[in-house]
Amino acid sequence: MKKNEVFTYLVGGRAGEGVKKAGTVAMSIFTRMGRASFEMDDYPSLIRGGHNFSVVSTAADTITSHYMEADLMVLHDERSYLEHQSHVKPTGVVVYNSDEVGEGARGIGIPMKSEAKKYPPNPELRMGVGSVTVLAAAIGMPVNQAEEIIKKEYPRDREKNADYARAIYELIPSEVLGKFHLEKGTHQSSALTGNQAAALGAYSAGLDMYFAYPMTPSTSILHFLAAHMSDLQVVAIHPENEIAVANMAVGAAFAGAKTMVGSSGGGLALMEETYSLAGMVEAPVVFVLSSRSGPSTGVPTYTDQGDLEFAVNQGHGEFPRIVVAPGSVEEAYYKAAELLLLVWRFQTPGTLVLDRHLSESSHTVNIDPEKAVWADFISHDSGEYRRYEVTETGISPLLFPPSSELIKWNSYEHDEFGITSDKAEKIVAMHDKRKKKLSKLHEYLKTIKTVNVYNPGHPVIMTYGSTTMSVLEALRAGDIDATVVQPVYLRPFPVWEFTGYDRAVVVEQSSTGQFATLLKEKAQVDSLVIAKYDGRPFDPQNLALAIKEAV
Amino acid sequence: MELRTYAENTWCPGCGNFGILNGVKRAAEMLSEKGIGTERLMMSAGIGCHGKIFDYLRISGLYSIHGRSMATVEGMKFANPDLKVITFVGDGDAYGEGLAHVLFAAKRNADITVVVHDNKVYGLTTGQFTPTSTKGFKGGSTPEGSVEDPLNPLALLLEAGGTFVARTYSGKIPHVADTLVRAVEHEGFSLVEVLQPCVTYNDTYRLYNEKVKLLEETPDKLGEAIDTARIQDPLYIGVFYEVKKPVYHRELYGERNPAKDSLSREERVRRIRNLLSVR
Ligand SMILES: Cc1ncc(C[n+]2csc(CCOP(=O)(O)OP(=O)(O)O)c2C)c(N)n1
Ligand code: SF4
Ligand SMILES: [Mg+2]
Repeated sequence: MKKNEVFTYLVGGRAGEGVKKAGTVAMSIFTRMGRASFEMDDYPSLIRGGHNFSVVSTAADTITSHYMEADLMVLHDERSYLEHQSHVKPTGVVVYNSDEVGEGARGIGIPMKSEAKKYPPNPELRMGVGSVTVLAAAIGMPVNQAEEIIKKEYPRDREKNADYARAIYELIPSEVLGKFHLEKGTHQSSALTGNQAAALGAYSAGLDMYFAYPMTPSTSILHFLAAHMSDLQVVAIHPENEIAVANMAVGAAFAGAKTMVGSSGGGLALMEETYSLAGMVEAPVVFVLSSRSGPSTGVPTYTDQGDLEFAVNQGHGEFPRIVVAPGSVEEAYYKAAELLLLVWRFQTPGTLVLDRHLSESSHTVNIDPEKAVWADFISHDSGEYRRYEVTETGISPLLFPPSSELIKWNSYEHDEFGITSDKAEKIVAMHDKRKKKLSKLHEYLKTIKTVNVYNPGHPVIMTYGSTTMSVLEALRAGDIDATVVQPVYLRPFPVWEFTGYDRAVVVEQSSTGQFATLLKEKAQVDSLVIAKYDGRPFDPQNLALAIKEAV
Repeated sequence: MELRTYAENTWCPGCGNFGILNGVKRAAEMLSEKGIGTERLMMSAGIGCHGKIFDYLRISGLYSIHGRSMATVEGMKFANPDLKVITFVGDGDAYGEGLAHVLFAAKRNADITVVVHDNKVYGLTTGQFTPTSTKGFKGGSTPEGSVEDPLNPLALLLEAGGTFVARTYSGKIPHVADTLVRAVEHEGFSLVEVLQPCVTYNDTYRLYNEKVKLLEETPDKLGEAIDTARIQDPLYIGVFYEVKKPVYHRELYGERNPAKDSLSREERVRRIRNLLSVR
């Protein structure tokens, strides 16, 4: 793929110093310039202190990952300085807070902290304002324009923030002013995280209610929808635990609301019994699984794809499951909508697989809300109602209360009316009904796009989920011609799309190569695995080297 | 009003659950006369002997899993507040497996009704001790007698914020019916504990016939209600506490009905465009 001209901005400092916010503001500056941009925030699981950094990479046309090698770095403290300054590009600039980074440091020192102390209270919160000012100056914005941006982006205490920005601007040496020329791009886009995109996508398809118990990295779906309860008219509910979450969602689906739940691995594990309940009562519910580095409590704020086998095997017993793993923020939007549609069409639970990298990274996207599907379903029109009526397709029409008809959803095996039964022929009839739904689901999936193939005709790389973004950017970074095959559906696995592939380089974030195992089992693909499992997403340049070696 | 189904009843002859079933049928008729018909009266049930009531009633709903039906009916209610929801649970089911859900439903004053078939034993799994079994109860898992003291669920749920807490006895069907009607009519969390003899594993008919006494007046102070709930002899039946408080779904989203007022596709597209253009 064609090489990308990338500009990367990195801010590092303690939690509570506005590091992440500085990244977000950088993202919106680039987005407003019409450029494609990608922001990755790295933060430990704590509220104050520690080491945080936010890295934003931008290109005029296309970009699908951050880069760890930066053109411009603003480092608030000694620890950030030691961690990052060696990763500056040869042509790059390091700006550090000279109040904390000592003598002999390489780069440009600015007394960001002592300057901030002139604008009490909370001088440490203002550090991020300083970092944004450095960016604005370095990409050639005049001081007034920088001030405008600060006022807009930091409305709380805006005058002091603007004064502080001006003071910092004046301390920036002239060789840095306008050092980086960034062309305007042509995108009409907005920046969203994967979690926001998944929430909005589901909403566009008809989502009415979201239930969740906080667990990183899924939490921001809950925050996002709770914040938009009135303007979007959705309901976000945070109950006592994940078991309540899942069961409330099933109950709400019974009453006709389109529902979704979300958590990370631990929370999904708690919901598993209810996942089966949804399979048995045929409740349409979307479960979002946003993985962290695991197992168990694991590493809450770092990424991994080690939940793959868990994700495709949710729930005990036999019933159709739909497992979808979008490979970009934009795809998270459309696939969340598509999954809501599928769970409603087929009346069975589905899982949307995300991970920390996709959930929390921010990407410029071009979303056309008209293009997302609408979650319609087969409904009962007249006559005596039988909840589990055996039909040609295995799908029984839905009817919601209030109704004078009897509507019984049953977790026990049941007859067509939903009354408990242990009769041999009823057991077989209901198993066959659920199995028929599965074969109809297969048929349906064959009519839609279940696998993305980029750049056909070259050596084959297979990947899925968030790692797709890393692989595509690595091909740009390394000017590599390779075909990328990305299954979006993991269960049912679209084997029909895999004819003709017998070997591939597999890229995944897992220590045991679960994706490679799945490919071998489902599609008989032999693989050479490039694995990463240190909680950090791939850096495109490093990944490019690994891919070149492998292909 | 036809409330029977064709399901074969498999409770042991003489089981206290029959009294509850008859009480519920009577209550459903009374509620229907008051304008709460079975089109909008929804039920759920836990897993245990008690749960079989789901199959024996011609009332719509969802037969849930063990311990979780409080959350099931909360979901129904929050999705469509026009519905009246009631769940039938066991003492093992609701106070063991699902205690958190009952406590939190009371705490948030979810507008649901929970009916506990309290036989102080796990009936369906053949007679083990439950959270309400007396100390020394002998069952398959405690052959030498349980070493734990029982919970006092009514006192606990009053403390948790229950806005309607009552007890009745399966041997007094009219009292069961009246209490259920009041509980369903109550706007907010209501819990009705039904003393239910299990003739097979914990036959308490004689004990209850001796000890059960009608509570003439509902205490109006919470402390007094809790004190009354602590009395074991006599065993009072009646309403221990009733108070009006704002209900959860209305506190959270006012008069909105998420299922009924679901926005059209066009309206959603418009709102998403708005939101994306501001960002
Ligand atoms: C998760 C789960 N654990 C265990 C069981 C097995 N189980 C079925 S009923 C029951 C106990 C029922 O006791 P109780 O709730 O008091 O109901 P009763 O039978 O006495 O009416 C148990 C443990 C189950 N169905 N699900
Ligand atoms: S075991 Fe006990 S509770 Fe269960 S049906 Fe028999 S008598 Fe009733
Ligand atoms: Mg019991």
